[in-house]
Amino acid sequence: MTTLALDGLGKRFGAATAVADLTLDVPSGAFLVLLGPSGCGKTTTLRMLAGLEEPTSGRIRLGDRVVADPAAGVLVPAQRRGTGMVFQSYALWPHMSVRQNVAWPLAVARWSRADRTARVTEVLAALDIADLADRSPAQISGGQQQRVAIARTIAPRPEVVLFDEPLSNLDARLRVETRDLLGRVHRSTGATSVYVTHDQVEALALATHVAVLRDGRLEQVGTPTELLERPATAFVAGFLGNPPAVLLAGETRDGVLRRGDLRLADVPGGATARHAMYRPQDLRLDPEGEVDLDVVESTPAAGDHLVTGLVPAVAAGRAGSGETDAGPQRITVVADRRVEPGTRTRLRLPAVPAALFGPDGARL
Amino acid sequence: MRAATARGAAAARRPVVWLAAGVVAVLVLLVALPLGGLVRATVGPGADGAWGDVASGPLADALLWQPLRGSLLVGLGTGVLATVLGAFLAWVVVLSDVPGRKVIGVLAAVPFALPSFALALAWETVFRNDRVGGNPGLLAALGVAVPDWLAWGPVPVVLTLVAHYFSLSYLVIAAALANVGGDVVAAAELTGASRLRVATRIVLPSVAPAVLSGFLLAFAEGVSNFAVPALLGLPVRFQTLSTRLYGAISTGDAERGYVLSIVLVVVAGLVLLVGNRLTAGRSYSTITGKATRARLVRTGAARLPLAALAWALVAATAVVPGVVLALSTVLRRSGSLDGGLTWHYWVGESDPSVAQGLRGVLRDPTVLDALGGTLRLGVVVAVCAVVLGALAAAVLRALPRARALHATVGLLGYVPFLIPGVALGAAVIAQFGAPTGPLPALYGTFAILVLAGVAASLPFALQTARAAFGQVSRELDEAAVLTGAVAPRRFARITLPLVSRGLANGAVLVFVTMVRDLSVVVLLVTPATPLLSMTTFRYASEGFTQHANAITLVIALIAVTATLLARRLEPGRKES
Repeated sequence: MTTLALDGLGKRFGAATAVADLTLDVPSGAFLVLLGPSGCGKTTTLRMLAGLEEPTSGRIRLGDRVVADPAAGVLVPAQRRGTGMVFQSYALWPHMSVRQNVAWPLAVARWSRADRTARVTEVLAALDIADLADRSPAQISGGQQQRVAIARTIAPRPEVVLFDEPLSNLDARLRVETRDLLGRVHRSTGATSVYVTHDQVEALALATHVAVLRDGRLEQVGTPTELLERPATAFVAGFLGNPPAVLLAGETRDGVLRRGDLRLADVPGGATARHAMYRPQDLRLDPEGEVDLDVVESTPAAGDHLVTGLVPAVAAGRAGSGETDAGPQRITVVADRRVEPGTRTRLRLPAVPAALFGPDGARL
Repeated sequence: MRAATARGAAAARRPVVWLAAGVVAVLVLLVALPLGGLVRATVGPGADGAWGDVASGPLADALLWQPLRGSLLVGLGTGVLATVLGAFLAWVVVLSDVPGRKVIGVLAAVPFALPSFALALAWETVFRNDRVGGNPGLLAALGVAVPDWLAWGPVPVVLTLVAHYFSLSYLVIAAALANVGGDVVAAAELTGASRLRVATRIVLPSVAPAVLSGFLLAFAEGVSNFAVPALLGLPVRFQTLSTRLYGAISTGDAERGYVLSIVLVVVAGLVLLVGNRLTAGRSYSTITGKATRARLVRTGAARLPLAALAWALVAATAVVPGVVLALSTVLRRSGSLDGGLTWHYWVGESDPSVAQGLRGVLRDPTVLDALGGTLRLGVVVAVCAVVLGALAAAVLRALPRARALHATVGLLGYVPFLIPGVALGAAVIAQFGAPTGPLPALYGTFAILVLAGVAASLPFALQTARAAFGQVSRELDEAAVLTGAVAPRRFARITLPLVSRGLANGAVLVFVTMVRDLSVVVLLVTPATPLLSMTTFRYASEGFTQHANAITLVIALIAVTATLLARRLEPGRKES
């Protein structure tokens, strides 16, 4: 168990910036999820933590040990960081049996033969794969391979465990089962964990802390509840939640955010707002409502229906008005009945939006 | 500047950097030095105006232009015919419903495993006439008058080379055809397009790069092959660049021979380079997702004629030559059953009345010496080439961002592919025949054969090694890094076990090419370093047909056995 701190971490590949100025503090025993769309730099960050990539700026600390600080010429190689990693491809060594895969890292760490045997037996039993011990990786299913990969990673009791999209190669049902397993593993080992995914459901299910990344930059970090309740940026609001928050674009004139002729909210203090955020459950489908909605999907969910539709573009703003979000917007709301796809209905908005976001995406 | 120095100093502390430097040094020694030596030997005062003599002197026609025309004629004929036959067989095996197509597929790959002089010797055994004296062939012995154009010169040279190299076109085109997804064809058929239209608009364009590259490979091989024109062309003075440069160098006219070597390298190299350019990035096989096998074409009434044609083709190239060679070695009088059958040419004691007292090949100490030399050369070259290839591949993998290193190793490892065997032999002599730095003159030693063999095998060895290392996902090594294992331990426990099968397979195939090679070694072999292929070539030139054929069979036996062994070692094949 150890804390983990990133301080202004950056990574450039030639002219391209993969990660920029990333600062994060992860308490001991936390389960941090790095969440974001593909290409946002989350895997690069994870690989820098492991020591598989060299950062080009900033600093990484594990506990009170600085393991990477390019400015000071410090770079602890991956072999000596004491981190474990579960790879997206599992990376099981195909020429070794399940037992050998789990035991070899212990041999490298100079465990005694007796300790090794005991630990392998223990870990395989904990992950429910004891009967596969003598099979080769090619002879077991994808879900079982995933369990072996987890067993191999946790067997040497690493202080930090890294996960690189470990569930993305599993089918939907196995993914849920293995997610539960990962939660159990984390609670029983107590290792500080960093988990990379683009799936916000996984993030919300597993994380004690979520860091949302976009284009190599940190958008927001916090507990799942904080991120859902108080998203710091329009991007986080539109990315997290199932369904995510509804964002309606408009433009601010004379202290009022308007969408076409519709008045969305008062903007206090002379600020400029670009988006109004509403919670999906606060919007009502109502033929008398203020905003048109062209329904494209209606999915039953937990007794209700998730209705997804397109809010048509508002009539193009006057020339030079700075209106940029002219295209139709896709949103999802919670309704109590099915709505036929292909029909048009209307939305009734609450009097006051849950939040306002400025032109730079930051919350007002 | 300080940063660059610091980086340099940091790099110098990494063992892998030293290893990389060593690999580059060996590649320079094997490839760049001989080529440089070849060029150097043709210029300057010692060369005695060799370029002028060859290009425009009174002998230019005999030295350069006639052999060049001969080479191009043989190359073109070989390329066209081999591609037509290879494409036909590929279509039969992959897409048609012709009976026995699996067996046809296996047999079609056989001729390429045989040494090319085996087919030439088989041809001679059948078609040889009395034009150059010596024992007549089977047909002549049966009283059939074999015309000169069928017995000697460009026609038999091209036909024998086609019999050897259509295998290559077949393999390349069959692989491409098998890659044309069944779904791709089905999608085209569902548009309502006719079968002809689907064939010409969908299937043919997909395999066109393979057809073209098959043609150019066969063309380049035809241009540069040595053994076949030497056996079937030289007796009637039909010259190609390879035979001409061999003639020049082996008769002491080294400088002019070196000039011809350079011309041959340029011609063959250009063809192969053009081929690579035209076909680079034009493989469509990766675009389709899941591969589905194309449905078979119903050939209807044409089924049996097509089958007969395909069977005749593979029988004539894969089965008949072997039978002819085997049979000829037990005929007391070559080409005739009248003399009865005998094992004399295999196991007989010296008998002054037969073949000038030459002993049976299995009793002849010089042949047994040559057998030992051939096996030793094959093993040593295979081990050296594959170890070098593996080191190069490992270094490239460990230093993925070292651009200059990748470019250098890629270039030096590829260039020998463009150099015909005889020309490579000439280059090695030009450089290492005389002392080089700390190296003494190597002419007449086993070492010079190994040098040339490793240089010639380098492209294949490097490619095999890179493929083997490429099969090992980087994450497998990274997972081992995170356990804390140091690089040598990771290499020994993770990478090596995973690449060993591929490397062993590559080593066996290098061994096979070395055992049956004649063109690389023909200029380098001396009586002190006998080899089987050279012995067979000498016997054939001197008219000891049975002995030559018997030794060829021994070579073929070694090659085929090793090839079968290699197939068992193929990566991805489960040991059961």
